[in-house]
Amino acid sequence: MSATAVKTAKDFLKQDPKPGVTLCSLIAGKKLPNAVIRETKQAIAAARKFNEEVVEPRALELDLKKMEDPDYLPWDLVEEANRRGFFTYFEPKIFGGKGVNLPAMSYFCEELASKCVGIANVVAVHYLGVATLVATWNVRLMNELMRDAAEGERLGEPRIMSMAITEPAVGTDVCEMKLLNKSDAAFRIDRVDGGYLVNGMKHFISNGHFSKWQIVFGYEDLERPAESVVILAIKSGTKGFSLGRQERKMGQKACPASELLFDDCFVPDDYVCYSPDQASRLRRPIIESNQQLVDYLSTASRPGVASFATGVARGAYEVALEFARDTEVAGKPLIDHEWAQMLLADMYTNVVMARLTYQEGNYANGLYGMFKLLQAKPIFYATKYTPKPVLDLFMSPILNMPLSTWMFRTLNFDLWKKEHQCIVDGYTSIAKIGATDLGLKNCQLALQLMGQAGLRHDGKAEKHLRDSKLLQIYEGPNEINKLIVFKSMISNLVPNTCMFDE
Amino acid sequence: MCASVNQELQMLDSMAKEFAESELVPGREEFDDFPFSPLFDGALKKANEVGFFSLMLPEDMGGANRSMKALCTVLYETCRADASLGGVIFTNALAQEVMINAGASDMIPSPEEAGGNPRKALLAFAPFDNPVETENRARAKAVDGEHFLDGDVEYVMLGGLAERALVAATMEGQEGISFFLTDVGLPEVRVSEPVISLGLHACPAVDIRFRGARATLIGEAGEGGLYLSQAADRLSVACAAMSSGIMLGSFLTALDYARGRTQGGRLILEWSKMRMSLADIAIKMKCADLIVDTAGTSVDEAESGWQQASRAAALHVCPIACDVANEGIQLLGGNGYMHEYGQEKRFRDAQTVQSLLGMLPLRKLAYLNMVLEAGKY
Repeated sequence: MSATAVKTAKDFLKQDPKPGVTLCSLIAGKKLPNAVIRETKQAIAAARKFNEEVVEPRALELDLKKMEDPDYLPWDLVEEANRRGFFTYFEPKIFGGKGVNLPAMSYFCEELASKCVGIANVVAVHYLGVATLVATWNVRLMNELMRDAAEGERLGEPRIMSMAITEPAVGTDVCEMKLLNKSDAAFRIDRVDGGYLVNGMKHFISNGHFSKWQIVFGYEDLERPAESVVILAIKSGTKGFSLGRQERKMGQKACPASELLFDDCFVPDDYVCYSPDQASRLRRPIIESNQQLVDYLSTASRPGVASFATGVARGAYEVALEFARDTEVAGKPLIDHEWAQMLLADMYTNVVMARLTYQEGNYANGLYGMFKLLQAKPIFYATKYTPKPVLDLFMSPILNMPLSTWMFRTLNFDLWKKEHQCIVDGYTSIAKIGATDLGLKNCQLALQLMGQAGLRHDGKAEKHLRDSKLLQIYEGPNEINKLIVFKSMISNLVPNTCMFDE
Repeated sequence: MCASVNQELQMLDSMAKEFAESELVPGREEFDDFPFSPLFDGALKKANEVGFFSLMLPEDMGGANRSMKALCTVLYETCRADASLGGVIFTNALAQEVMINAGASDMIPSPEEAGGNPRKALLAFAPFDNPVETENRARAKAVDGEHFLDGDVEYVMLGGLAERALVAATMEGQEGISFFLTDVGLPEVRVSEPVISLGLHACPAVDIRFRGARATLIGEAGEGGLYLSQAADRLSVACAAMSSGIMLGSFLTALDYARGRTQGGRLILEWSKMRMSLADIAIKMKCADLIVDTAGTSVDEAESGWQQASRAAALHVCPIACDVANEGIQLLGGNGYMHEYGQEKRFRDAQTVQSLLGMLPLRKLAYLNMVLEAGKY
C-alpha cells in the first residue's frame, strides 16, 4: 500500500497487535456457556468448605510435621480430597468425571492456595498428570485412566496421576525442543518386543509418592531427544519401578516432590500414551508435534500455577490485613495509618492483577487451546445434560476405538493453527510470570508490614512466603517463560530472529 | 568486605572466614534443622573462645574493644556461611550495647565470668521490638527497692540458650519502657519451646512468660526507649553487614552452579540472561559493601550524622539482600529451592535479618524523623 493510500478500518486491524491477540477476553466472553458461571461458583464454594474443614485446621501443623519428619506423607489429605470427589471434579464427563468446566479449576485452586499452596498442589497436581495425558490426545488411555480415578473415588482408594518429566540434569530444557535436543537428557526408553524398557531417574515429581499412575516422559534416542519423545503411563507397583526419597523443599511441604527410580521397568504397548511411531503419523514434522504436545501441557498448567500465585498473594494480604486491624502503633490501630492503608491497597491490587492474568490465560485456552473443544456450547451442554450412565454406556466404547484418537489428534495436532498456538502460549506464560511475581511480592510486603510477627510460623505469613517462591520455578522457571513470551508474541514480528542459540 | 580495610581488619576477616569455613559450612544444613536437630554447641563454644561474643566490650571487661567495622567484618563472614551465628553475635552485641548505653556495662557477663561457656557469655534479647512505637506487654513492679516482672515477651532471641535475658517492660506510673536483666532459669520465668520461624533457625528464639520474676533495673526507669534507640543507631550498620554477607554467599553459590551446570548444551554461565542476573547481583553486592564500609567508618569515627548513615545502610541494604537471595534461588532453578544447596536458607535468613530492629516501614518513618530533627535539609 502506498503512503498516500487511504487506510480502511480493516487495514488498521491488520496491524500488530491484532485483535485476535488483544481482544481475547472480549471474544471469549460471549462464547462461554452461561452455566460456566454457576459451575465456577459451585467450585469456589466446594473449595471454601474444604478450606474451612480440612486445610485451615491442618496447614500449619502439617508444615511443622514435615519439618520434623521430611519423610512423612499426609495420606489422609489425599483420601479426604478423593472422598470429596476432587480428583474427578474437573475431568470431562465423557471420561467418567464430574465435568466441571476447566477454567473453574483456577478459581478453585486460588481458594485452596489462599490457605495453603502445598495442600492445593496435592489436590491439583493430579490434573497436571491428566493434562499431560490429554496433551497426547490418546483417547483410549485418557478414558481408561480418568475412569480409573473415578473408580478409585467410588472405592475410597485414591488413584491419581503425576507427571514425570524433570531429570536431575534436565529441567528447563524440557520446555523447548531446541533446548531439549542439546540437553544432557539421560532418561532412556528402549523399544523392545511388546513395549518399552525404562531406565533412569526422575526427580522433583509432585505427588509422586501418592500417585497410582506416573505419566512419564522419556526418549528413544538420547542424541536427539526432541525427536524421540515417548510418553508412558506407568502404574505404581510395576516391576522395576520404585520410589526414591522426597526432596527437602523450602515450602509447599504438604506435597511431596518425589524421586522415581526405574530399573529395567517394562511397560507394555497398551500403556504407551505417545511415541515417535505415533508422532510420525501426524502431519507436522515430529519435532513440531512434540513441541505442540509440550505446549498443550504447559499452556493448560500455567494458568493453574498463576491461580496458586493469586491464592498465595491473597493469603498474604489477608494475614497482613488481620495484623493491621489488630495491632496498635503509636496509639492507634495500624490500619488507621495512611501508609499501611496504601500498602494494603497495593497488596489488594496485586491480587486482582494476578487473577486477571490467569483469567486471560484461560480465555486464550478456551478460544484456541486445550479447553476449546469442551467449551464449545453444543459439546458443553450435550455432555452436561446427558445422563452419566448414558455417556458411560455409549461413549466409552467409542472413545476406546483408535478412530477417536485419530480424530482428536487430527483436530488438535494437525489442525492447531500456529498463530493460535502462539496466543495461548504467550498468554499463559504471561499469566505464569505475572502472577507468580505478584504472589511473591505480596508475601514480602506482608513480612515488611508485620515485622517479627510475620516471621513466626504461627503467624502464617512466613509460610506463604516459602510456598510462593516455588511458583516462580515449577512449570518452567519464569526465565524460560519470558523467552516463550518473546518467541510466541514478539519474534514473529521480527523475522529471522534467532532464539535458544546465542 | 570493607573497601578500605586496614591490616587489623584484614586479619580479623581472615580469621572469621576460616572460622566460618571450618565451623559453620560443613554443618550448615544440619544446624538449620534446629529445633528438630541439636543446636550447634560446638560452633557456639568456639565462637565464644575466639571472642565473637565480646568483640566490642572494653578491654577492662575482658573484651577486644574492637570497632564497629570489626563487628561488621565478623558478621559479614559468618553470614556468608551461616547467618544463624550472625544472628547470635548480633543479638548479643545489641543487648550489650543497650546495657552500655544504660551505664550498666559492669553487669554484662565478661568472658572471664563466662568461663568459656557460651550460655553464660550470651544475653537473650528481643531484637525485633520497637518499643518507641509499639506497646510492650511485660510489666514491672517495684517492691521494697526490688523489681518484679509480669507478663509476656515474645520472640526473645537466645532465650532458650543464654542464662540471662535483657527484657523491656513498662513500669507502673512510669512513661516509656525500662530494661531489666533477669535470670531465665528462675521458677517464675516460663520459657516456651523454641519459636519456629522463617530464618536464623540456629539462633533460637522463645516466648517468655514472667510471673513475678525478680529482675534488675538497667539504667534509669523509663529511659529504655532511648537506650535501645541509641543501640539501634550503632548496630543498624551491623544488620546491613549481615545482609551483605548473605548476598555474597548467595552469589558464590549461584556462580558455582552456573559454572558447573549446563542448559541447552551450554554452561549456564554462558547464557547472557544468566550473566545479566549474576551481574545484577554482583553490582548490588558491591554497592552494599561500599555502603556498609562507609557507614561503618562513619560510626567508628563518630562523624556528623553517623546515626543516619548507620540506619540508612540497614534500611537500604537489607531489602536488597532479600531480592538478591530470591534471585540466588532462581539461578539454581528447582535445586535452589532445596535444602542442600543453601540458597533457600539464605532467602529465609535475608528476610529475617530485614526485620531485625523492628518493622521496616516504621523504621523508615523513624529515619525521616531523624532527618527532620537534624534540621539539615
